[in-house]
Amino acid sequence: MATSLFIAPLGAPDPPTVTPPGGFFGVLASAAEAFIGAFQAGGDVFLGLVTGIIPLLVVLLTAVNAIVRLIGPERIERFGEMAARPGLQWYPIRYLVLPVLSVFFLTNPMAYTMGRFLPERFKPAFYDSAVSFVHPVTGLFPHANPGELFVYLGVAAGLTSLHLSLGDLAVRYLLVGMVVIFLRGIITEIITARLMSRAATQEGVSL
Amino acid sequence: MSTTTAPAPKKSGFDSFNTLLVRVGRAVGGVVGILYQAGRDTIDTIIRNILPFMAFISVLIGIITYTGLGDWLAHLVEPLAGSLPGLLALSVFCAIPILSPVLGPGAVIAQIVGTAIIGPAIAKGSIPPQYSLPALFAIDPQVGCDFIPVGLALGEAEPETVEIGVPAVLFSRLITGPLSVVIAYLASIGLYAGA
Repeated sequence: MATSLFIAPLGAPDPPTVTPPGGFFGVLASAAEAFIGAFQAGGDVFLGLVTGIIPLLVVLLTAVNAIVRLIGPERIERFGEMAARPGLQWYPIRYLVLPVLSVFFLTNPMAYTMGRFLPERFKPAFYDSAVSFVHPVTGLFPHANPGELFVYLGVAAGLTSLHLSLGDLAVRYLLVGMVVIFLRGIITEIITARLMSRAATQEGVSL
Repeated sequence: MSTTTAPAPKKSGFDSFNTLLVRVGRAVGGVVGILYQAGRDTIDTIIRNILPFMAFISVLIGIITYTGLGDWLAHLVEPLAGSLPGLLALSVFCAIPILSPVLGPGAVIAQIVGTAIIGPAIAKGSIPPQYSLPALFAIDPQVGCDFIPVGLALGEAEPETVEIGVPAVLFSRLITGPLSVVIAYLASIGLYAGA
């Protein structure tokens, strides 16, 4: 039985060049081919992603993870205390230095815990500032937000297929990201202050 | 001369060499341990976060490209992502306070738009390469809008702060979303100019 199973395809009398199945089965067969074809295309994309991105990512993530561990994330808490101070000169610390360091050292969800050093009125603005940095940082430092790399990588893939280098885009993405989070922090702080004073007066009226 | 003091420096010399050895050994061991742990974390991240997303995005892109939906989408977003007014409109849309928390979770929408629409559109040439920078900001004004209460709770905020912080951040995005696109547009001048 077993031998006949193995021999049968070799000794098959009719050649494989038969007329394609028509009718109902023909429709089924072409549908099956289209079905597999879509996933074959997906498989090619997957292969490209794994061989193109993973090797660099493994080495880069390992190096940066080691650096973060060697420096020690607890050292940035000093900046948290500085950022809590009132006054114009502490704005860059609060909405630029602290969010950038938090995202770099503590990475995506844990970066927001640095908000605990700030007074309540700065917390929404700090969160806004920090969370807005988790995508610009991925261009150069993917360790900070490995779950959401494809905002940058997806757009970058288009440039790679045009044989353009990504360094320029990655650096500009990071720098513009820094400018944006700084402005975002300031604007959100102003809006928070407005909403807080409005809530306070409404409370006063209702009392 | 003295026989009692002679062995003492010998012993201390050997001791200091010994402590040096221990110190070097400890430092090297510590660094190697940190590197090894970093490698372990990396592989863990790749398997748990990156490969699953690659699998998901591959299925999506496979279907989009195979069915020809990709070309259609690229033509659709060409007027949106290929000009400054279009990008501004896109960013305002993503920043609408009711939509932004819906579009936010896991940055899935931004990642799909980036990977399946903007990236291929740049590759096909329907969006010029220097628009990649403003496009990155135009598809992302909703970043973290789904996560505001949790993020504020991680920062040990009071419930009253959360109540005010959620609308404050959402309203702020309506201003800072388009603003970020303008800044990125200005910063993209000269980007891939030779291409």
